[in-house]
Amino acid sequence: MTAAAAPGVASRSLGISRRWLALLAVAAGVAVFQVLGDSMSTIEGSDRLFPALWDKTFEDPIQDAGAWLRSNRLTHPIFTGLLTPFSKTVGGAIDAIADALLWLPWFVVLGIVVLIPARAGAWKAGVVGAIALFYTVLIGLWVPTMQTLALMSAAVLLAAIVGLPLGMVAALYPRFEQVLRPVLDAAQTLPAFVYFLPLLMLFGIGNVPGAVATVIYALPPVVRLTTLGIKRVPQAAVDASLMFGATKRQTLLKVQVPMAVPTIITGLTQTIMLSLGVVVLATLVGADGLGSPILQTLNSRRTGRGIAAGLAIVAVAMVLDRMWKSFAVTDRTKFLQRRYLGYGVGGLLIATLAGRAFGIAAAPDLFDWSLFDPIDDGVVWTRDNLRWFTRPFSDWIVLYLYLPARDFLTDTMAWPSILLMVGAACWWVRGRALAVFSVAALGVIGLIGMWELSIDTLVQVIIAAGLATVIAVPLGLLVGRSKRVEALMGPVLDGLQTVPSLVYIVPAVIFFTVGVVPGIIATVLYAMVPGVRITALGIREVPEESIEASRTFGATPRQTMLGVRVPLAAPTIMAGINQVIMLSLAMVIISGLVGGGALGFETVRSLKRSLFGFGFEVGVALVLMAMLLDRFTEACAQRLQPPE
Amino acid sequence: MSYLSNCRRSACDYISTVDDKHVETDTWLETRGVWKVFGGQSKKALEMSEGGMSRAEVLAATGCTIGVKDVSLSVLPGETFVVMGLSGSGKSTLIRCISQLTEVTKGSVIFDGQDLAAMDEKALREVRRKKLSMVFQHFGLFPHRRVIDNAAYGLEVQGVPKDVRRNRARLVLEIVGLKGYEDHYPQQLSGGMQQRVGLARALTVEPEVLFFDEPFSALDPLIRRDMQNELIRLQRDMQRTIVFITHDFAEAIKLGDRIAIMKDGEFDQVGTAAELITNPATDYVREFTEDIPKAKVLTAADVAHAGALNPDWKRVQSSSSVESLIPLLLADPLPLVVQGPDGVSLGLVDRQAVQDLLGRVA
Repeated sequence: MTAAAAPGVASRSLGISRRWLALLAVAAGVAVFQVLGDSMSTIEGSDRLFPALWDKTFEDPIQDAGAWLRSNRLTHPIFTGLLTPFSKTVGGAIDAIADALLWLPWFVVLGIVVLIPARAGAWKAGVVGAIALFYTVLIGLWVPTMQTLALMSAAVLLAAIVGLPLGMVAALYPRFEQVLRPVLDAAQTLPAFVYFLPLLMLFGIGNVPGAVATVIYALPPVVRLTTLGIKRVPQAAVDASLMFGATKRQTLLKVQVPMAVPTIITGLTQTIMLSLGVVVLATLVGADGLGSPILQTLNSRRTGRGIAAGLAIVAVAMVLDRMWKSFAVTDRTKFLQRRYLGYGVGGLLIATLAGRAFGIAAAPDLFDWSLFDPIDDGVVWTRDNLRWFTRPFSDWIVLYLYLPARDFLTDTMAWPSILLMVGAACWWVRGRALAVFSVAALGVIGLIGMWELSIDTLVQVIIAAGLATVIAVPLGLLVGRSKRVEALMGPVLDGLQTVPSLVYIVPAVIFFTVGVVPGIIATVLYAMVPGVRITALGIREVPEESIEASRTFGATPRQTMLGVRVPLAAPTIMAGINQVIMLSLAMVIISGLVGGGALGFETVRSLKRSLFGFGFEVGVALVLMAMLLDRFTEACAQRLQPPE
Repeated sequence: MSYLSNCRRSACDYISTVDDKHVETDTWLETRGVWKVFGGQSKKALEMSEGGMSRAEVLAATGCTIGVKDVSLSVLPGETFVVMGLSGSGKSTLIRCISQLTEVTKGSVIFDGQDLAAMDEKALREVRRKKLSMVFQHFGLFPHRRVIDNAAYGLEVQGVPKDVRRNRARLVLEIVGLKGYEDHYPQQLSGGMQQRVGLARALTVEPEVLFFDEPFSALDPLIRRDMQNELIRLQRDMQRTIVFITHDFAEAIKLGDRIAIMKDGEFDQVGTAAELITNPATDYVREFTEDIPKAKVLTAADVAHAGALNPDWKRVQSSSSVESLIPLLLADPLPLVVQGPDGVSLGLVDRQAVQDLLGRVA
């Protein structure tokens, strides 16, 4: 997309001759750096790598700080006065919720899952959710499922308690929003992985760092959607309220907030789905729940059980999705009558008492997830029989995409050349500020000794995001254009989007074992879903009038697609690609768990070995890379926006 | 509190009570030199515009848009004052300035002897609660509240108890023809009915002044006509002071006691429908009047002129439409004597006068 729109973009920002001049200058610079690169001496062996002048500048003090935190956890006032009470409160709340969920007879929990959506008239969704949850009973994963639910609930509650007021204030006071916005922007682009290490330092191992990481991850969308929801309330409604002499407070609470609720909840549903991925990952910092069975199966290669546990997470996602969506229903005429609601609640109360009295509250051991062990054999058989394809495919990616790209960037290109080219590209799409930022960001990454690891990660992201885009955009065009394909693919895409990232690793590992390739495959699968959805959305949003106008001129469907639909949808599609890239980055890091190496693996290693200093550097590199990728693609998307 | 007793009476009684109250009050609404400038350098833009620069020149120089330019108007108690203008004329900005939904850049809005523009938030809130109300173009209803709670909103923010305000709202909903729809949600109603809810919501608080910001523009033509008639009927009963904004000249002359034609943020002309039609001040005003069926709009009084009266000539009422005079004049070449309601002769109408009027139409 970028390439197609490039000429128009360039002529808008620079004159033609100036553009060529700039290009020439960059080329000349690169040539000079390449030649000089051979003679430049650096601290470590390879000439082309960035000199890691600050290699230990941050690593050592932070490692010491981490060690200090660890040894003073029980005594220092920072802990005893602030962090420990907080940690105890949050941890206690999570445990309390989990205990309550486990105290309730399992069938009562299923009943609640039916009743909440049924209240808003969506009882079918409730039944689907209950069936999904019943699955976790069947395979004996009830306890970790409830633990995950508890962790989710606590995190979402915390995010709401902090986020909703912030969002309201931001909606009412534009100045506050101006201050808040860049912070939120930055926080939203970061993979949740980077929060784990500092939180581990502060709170120690357990549920709390997992919950807090989830809150930080979920907070920006909560704030943003609250602000958006309130701002979207029609001005006339607000004016009407003010004209009746309502105070600002009355207007906010009686008009703006209630009218913003559907927007807030619709957005929250998605946020919750994304947070589920973080909650599952939090097993890396010692959180309870469904994450650990998945990790175990990944390590033990019991793929059958991996699938079983993965499906349990999908079940949780389905339940949460159905429940939350029901809160967004505003058409009160569809609501369940009070009487029936009363019967439902009464029935559940009796069932609870009965369940407790007869000692049948605990989920029964109907089956065990060893049930899935035969799948292992099937999987092994399939894997062995697909090897004629997976092996060469895997080799092809490694030999023809991954290795050449990585070697090109680390061995062939001298680091100043890369800096120059990235800076020039940023200047070209957005301007000087982005160029300066990009060079500074890359500079810091290099100086702290993260150059090689970052390039490794970047190459994986580019390959995965590229493949995902190549698949997602045409698919999105298809879905967006044909109602029939949309009816077919819509539910599938909805379902896939609710699946937490870690689950995607399972099939990838089944077929491609370990290494860079399963990570890339999992990333492609994970990242292409929003790509398809957003592309389809963009195509569908093209005004019908423009399409009809094109048709009346006798354009073929192909001409209409390429001449009208795609250009008009281009900014939206580019926003989709931005999403694809950001999700790819998040996923490539997680792939570190299955041999993807690079920054992801180092993050996990730092977490496991308490390498605070090193882990901090890895985190900084990730943050900078995420911001750079986000700003660059976002700038590209804006370039494609037709002028107002 | 008057509404406590009103609740027990029928709908009509309720209206007449309000009516009595209003004839006595001497509410007065006027604006004095109101300016509204949009943009960062509003002060500078204001000075330039006062110095005689045109809107376009000011925009080019400062990036500021002059929304309302030195508008002074006064509305009499019980009068319906219509501001008519095309989009971009500043009419909506003007009503937002008067209702204080937008801060005025310069000038004052005097209501009941007080300057609304100079009031602090609290005092303004009090005035709004007790005396002002507004109906909006896109209704501005609250979709999360039932019709009855929409109508009761004004009383709710005043802290009136739930059953009292609901009884009041029920009564007003009945008056605007929404009996039986109290428990619906606004989005379940048609556009015309939604605006009836908007009207009911505005009337529930017994305002002294009602602002209408293009209330019927979003409605179908037939529904629009219904709503106009509804408003005329209500206004006949309650005689509120109304400031009404529209872009439809026909609507303006149908509803307005006086009409202001607004263009580029200023009033081109203010007058009754008859004054605008018979004596347009500018070509711009004349353009609007051209499509109006004058014989229907104007009355005998509007075309009457002085002259020697003959007691034998036929007599007509001053309020009869010109259209109704035509058959009389065609049947008999003699002029007609126009007499007021008290029987006093006001002047005469002859064929020539009607011909002049209708000739101008062509």
